[in-house]
Amino acid sequence: MNIKINRDTLLKPLSSVTSIVERRHTLPILSNLLLEAKDEKIVLTATDLEMQISLALQTPVGGELSTTISAKKLLDICRSLPENAEITMATAESRIQVKTGKSRFNLQTLPAADYPVMTKATGTTYTVVSIDQKSLKRLFKQVEFAMAQQDIRYYLNGLLFEVNGNRLNVVGTDGHRLSFTSTELAQTYEKQELILPRKTVIELIKLLDDSEEEVTIEIASGQVNFSFGDIKLISKVIDGKFPDYTRVIPVGHKNSFNVDRMTILLAMQRASILSNEKYRGIRMVLGSDSLRLISTNSEQEEAEEELEIAYGGDSLDIGFNVTYMIDVLNNVNCDTVTFSFADANSSCLVTVADDETYKYVVMPMRI
Amino acid sequence: MFFAGVELLHYPQLKGLPVVVGGRSIDMPRQLADGRWQFARLGDYAGRGVVTTSTYEARALGVFSAMGLMKAAAKAPDAIILPANFDAYRHYSRLFKQAVRDIAPHVEDRGIDEIYIDLTDHTEPSQALAQRLKDAVYSATGLTCSICIAPNKLLAKIGSDLDKPDGLTLLDESSLQSRIWPLSVSKINGIGPKAVAKLATIDIHTIAELAQAEVGLLQSTFGRSYAAWLLNVSNGQDNRPVTTYSEPKSISRETTFERDLHVRHDRARLGEIFTSLCERVAQDLKAKRYMAGTVGIKLRYQDFTSVTRDLTLPSPISDAAAIRKAAGECLKRAPLTKKIRLLGVKLSQLMPMEDSENPTQKQAPLPFE
Repeated sequence: MNIKINRDTLLKPLSSVTSIVERRHTLPILSNLLLEAKDEKIVLTATDLEMQISLALQTPVGGELSTTISAKKLLDICRSLPENAEITMATAESRIQVKTGKSRFNLQTLPAADYPVMTKATGTTYTVVSIDQKSLKRLFKQVEFAMAQQDIRYYLNGLLFEVNGNRLNVVGTDGHRLSFTSTELAQTYEKQELILPRKTVIELIKLLDDSEEEVTIEIASGQVNFSFGDIKLISKVIDGKFPDYTRVIPVGHKNSFNVDRMTILLAMQRASILSNEKYRGIRMVLGSDSLRLISTNSEQEEAEEELEIAYGGDSLDIGFNVTYMIDVLNNVNCDTVTFSFADANSSCLVTVADDETYKYVVMPMRI
Repeated sequence: MFFAGVELLHYPQLKGLPVVVGGRSIDMPRQLADGRWQFARLGDYAGRGVVTTSTYEARALGVFSAMGLMKAAAKAPDAIILPANFDAYRHYSRLFKQAVRDIAPHVEDRGIDEIYIDLTDHTEPSQALAQRLKDAVYSATGLTCSICIAPNKLLAKIGSDLDKPDGLTLLDESSLQSRIWPLSVSKINGIGPKAVAKLATIDIHTIAELAQAEVGLLQSTFGRSYAAWLLNVSNGQDNRPVTTYSEPKSISRETTFERDLHVRHDRARLGEIFTSLCERVAQDLKAKRYMAGTVGIKLRYQDFTSVTRDLTLPSPISDAAAIRKAAGECLKRAPLTKKIRLLGVKLSQLMPMEDSENPTQKQAPLPFE
């Protein structure tokens, strides 16, 4: 069994699927990817048993092949070969020879039949949602930074993906701050919600592009499938109850001001230099038409930034983890942001001018 | 031996008899109406405890620490068995350490019955100083002890075993070859059974053979760093200082069950034990004034294989409920098809409570409920 393929045709798909292969794993075959070539088509599949990416390439390959091979080694080899090199792959018993020009690589393989392929859940009804790649990518990027990481509340280590009527709502939270976004869908659906694992979200952001091309999302019980372009991604979902985000998104915070995003971002970043390294606290002191950002660290060093704003609300002195503020300012894509407060013990709501659905809620820090 | 020594202080009539410490509280000696004491015999023991310690007389019959009590009973059925009385041992431990500190305050604690003392600043002749320490321990506790005065901790540790019991050993560099080299490599702290077996395969049995071994051979057998260490210690080299205080790295509690437990059938019992372990380890943590960043569990199955699982938390915890919850998460990740013999809970990534209990800055949570 042997095939021929152009190095450049293979490289990008190969690196796309390889990114989910875990370095540390219990099953040796999980460091391999499944390579199946037949009828002028190559399918590359990688899995970590929680999610799986399959990528189908239409390209003349002049033969058939079906094996599993170390994802990392094959990627390293392809990367280092010269541009446009013609690669020949030939299997013999438990080995594969990858050959181009005067380079030869003999690699171990494991049988394709042993590869733990994730299959689409059968016998369940799917809710099928369509959205364009660009919109889905934007939604994810607006909220992914607020997800928890390795939190004991495992249901926070992912994003809430909620289809409700003709709305798609996506929410991330680590229990201290929450990022909410929403978009309109072409159809109307019954309410459905699931928690997308952190790794799936991060991989999707890498794989999605900024095109208007459609992503088909199939939601089944315990599983969700994303199909777009040449890619099919299957992911388990996190089994758990996501907290009720509607309870923490405030309404009617009356003390608010608008500010240029870059101006306040840069001021926050400067002030953060002298914030406590562990707690990262920063004080936002609001007075008539003025905002001061004040930080001190454990060595009693101090930074103060003063911004001119249009503000006629209550005087307020409220503390925050500056990282949470820098995160939102880095991830929203607009010129003007609005900060709204009730009092020094309540949350701060951050909204943006050109996307009224977006809401970022951050709880204060006692300083 | 320390535990047995303390027991013999309580029951001097047992002196000279084979005595084993370990086992159940029902084996507690009873005073009869006529004032005599009745002791339990090892031969009557049934259960799965192990020998905590044994007297020299019991050792002569082949009964050693960590041996299963049932196995020990087969070897010495007439030996006296006493349940361990840890409160008494801790009491005597404090007494003897204090007696030493009164003479030489620079003391490194190595457990309940072992210490290193830095005597660098003492000008008194070693023999007299060692005798003075032994006398102080005896008058404070009634217990004898073995002391070795040597140039470093490594030699002191090996030397203190040379003239037991009630030993007084003086070692200097010149006695290395005559007294240390003839010993088995297993006498060195840090050369365990596996390393001993591996050394035997390259025909090294005594410390002398190790000291004269070829570097290349040791390196290819053990790797560079362990080989270098082996050569150093076999030549009596050790630069470790006597450290009077060290931060604990972890705090743990574990228990072996009376009988192997099944995850499903003994769910309730297992749950109780698990919770109580977490409560006890939480108390230990609190007593030492630490918070823990990582919670781990250890399982030993009926076939004696063991697994550990741990979980690092977003912020350090100290209360039993939080520890129980995190340990429960760890347990979910462990294979639970075989019956379980032992369960342990371990807290690590410790940090002093002062820092974490009252952080100067405190992040409020989102009010989901």
